[in-house]
Amino acid sequence: MTGSNQTTTQTSDLLLRALVELRDTFAATQEQLSADSLDDFSRLFEGGRRLETMLARAAADIDNHDLMNIFAAIRGYAELLQEDLGEQQVQLSDSLARLLQALQSAQPGSGKPRDSGDKRVIESEPGYILAVDDLKENRELVARNLSRIGHFVVTAASGEEALRALEQSDVDVVLLDLLMPGMDGREVLRRIKEHPDWRATPVIVISGQQDMDGIIECIEAGADDYLFKPFNQVLLQARIKAGIERKRWHDREEQYRQQLERNEKFIRATFGRYLSDEIVTDILERPEGLELGGDLRRVTIMMSDIRGFTTLSEHLAPAQVVTLLNRYLGAMTDIIMAHQGTIDEFIGDAILAVFGAPQHRDDDADRAVSCALEMQAAMAHINEVNAAEGLPVIKTGIALNTGDVIAGNIGSERRSKYGFVGHAMNVTSRIEDLTAGGGILVSDSTLKSLKGDFQVGDCQELKVKGIEESIVVHQILGSAP
Amino acid sequence: MTNLAPVLLVEDNELNRDMLVRRLNRAGIEVIVAGDGQQALDAMVSAQPRVVLMDMNLPVLDGWTACRRAREDQRISHIPIIALTAHAMESDRLNALQAGCDDYATKPVDFPGLLIKIEKLTRA
Repeated sequence: MTGSNQTTTQTSDLLLRALVELRDTFAATQEQLSADSLDDFSRLFEGGRRLETMLARAAADIDNHDLMNIFAAIRGYAELLQEDLGEQQVQLSDSLARLLQALQSAQPGSGKPRDSGDKRVIESEPGYILAVDDLKENRELVARNLSRIGHFVVTAASGEEALRALEQSDVDVVLLDLLMPGMDGREVLRRIKEHPDWRATPVIVISGQQDMDGIIECIEAGADDYLFKPFNQVLLQARIKAGIERKRWHDREEQYRQQLERNEKFIRATFGRYLSDEIVTDILERPEGLELGGDLRRVTIMMSDIRGFTTLSEHLAPAQVVTLLNRYLGAMTDIIMAHQGTIDEFIGDAILAVFGAPQHRDDDADRAVSCALEMQAAMAHINEVNAAEGLPVIKTGIALNTGDVIAGNIGSERRSKYGFVGHAMNVTSRIEDLTAGGGILVSDSTLKSLKGDFQVGDCQELKVKGIEESIVVHQILGSAP
Repeated sequence: MTNLAPVLLVEDNELNRDMLVRRLNRAGIEVIVAGDGQQALDAMVSAQPRVVLMDMNLPVLDGWTACRRAREDQRISHIPIIALTAHAMESDRLNALQAGCDDYATKPVDFPGLLIKIEKLTRA
């Protein structure tokens, strides 16, 4: 050591200052320390005194070997104390860290910083680390090193133990020794990468320098990183940090994906009761479609209700009314959806459905008529069940009309629904008023839209309030013979 | 099979020697000490340590010479020696290895690294 050198003088000063600071911190906290630590400190300070005496001498009189040994001893005690005190004595640990840093830069005989003495600490988000090694010393070394910088470390002494630890907790990074008796590292790695829940957990494999082939094999088998033994502590911290970041990234992605899935499930469950799968899918794929506004579409409108339901319900208990309605509406909903109709709303016992929106098909009118026929056919079974439960027999009338409506999200920002407005809606409602129980009435425009053959019955003329001309309606008796 | 014999630490600087003894003890390793090269050879014969940690700059008999003599002595030639070399100089390490040391650690030693070296040499 060349004491006359300006830089060296500065670093020696730094070192001496660090020692003074440590003494002060120690004086303030020594009551809290164990006998072992007190002993370590007294030896460390003894080294400090010798160092001070030595540095006070002329540069030429300094014995490099002695100086190096004093440095080594002080450093050794400082490291030992730092390990023992850890986070319980934050102030002392900080002072020790500064002393170690000063030692590092003042170290005689080392022009460049040495790898193994590197006291840099890699800042990292704290993680849950599983260290797998059959050697106790190695496990403890890793645990000390990583817990010192805030990670939570669990250790496993064998492959079997490692798998148990993985089952019990959500591990962020696995540090895996390859060479172990029993289940070795390769097998542990294979099982981790095969497990659906563990697959994304980064694995850092550790092996001796001579086992390059083993490392390559592991990287191919899904290992994320590797370290050669004996490994540099800072490098370990850096790789752990990278591993944690990778895991966190994956976790966030997974969370986001699950959130999306939940949202989609919620939307499907909520709207699926009223809308066919297609509309829900359409909404999910084009959320901008939920904006208010709509477009003019030619659709076939269906309105149906139970004849005399209001009177009927007056003689029933509320629970019976609900049973009756749910049974009826449930069956009708299934049939309408099977025909790709869009149920716009239920009003009491009345159903308003539309064929042709949001998606137009060439057979909208045909499907609507087939749907109506099937709905009427289903009434027999519903009434059978009703009768068995002592509920009254019900009859439904169905009206169909084809015309232009505005389809879209109608309402206010707070409350809007996919709905339909237009004169054709009112016309349908008038036709519905005319429909007898068990019957199906379709407007002339629907009849003209039909492509398939149906059994058509009587026609009649209908005066509609608010419009000049009367409309012609036809009875549908069945599908083509 | 783990060798449970003590570790022999050869170091003339008592400050550094005490520190290493304490750290090794704290790590659960039993240590015996010697202050010079000749004492080291005597202790190797009598105590049959599982590994020797030997400073190279020693009085009476320096570490390199002690190491060469240990390798020529059948009673102790099998005992692994880790040289504690003073400087981070390549020539020091090479000299130590040429003298028959099995491994080396540069002072001030990286303690966790030293534990691994001890473990490695005393395993199997």
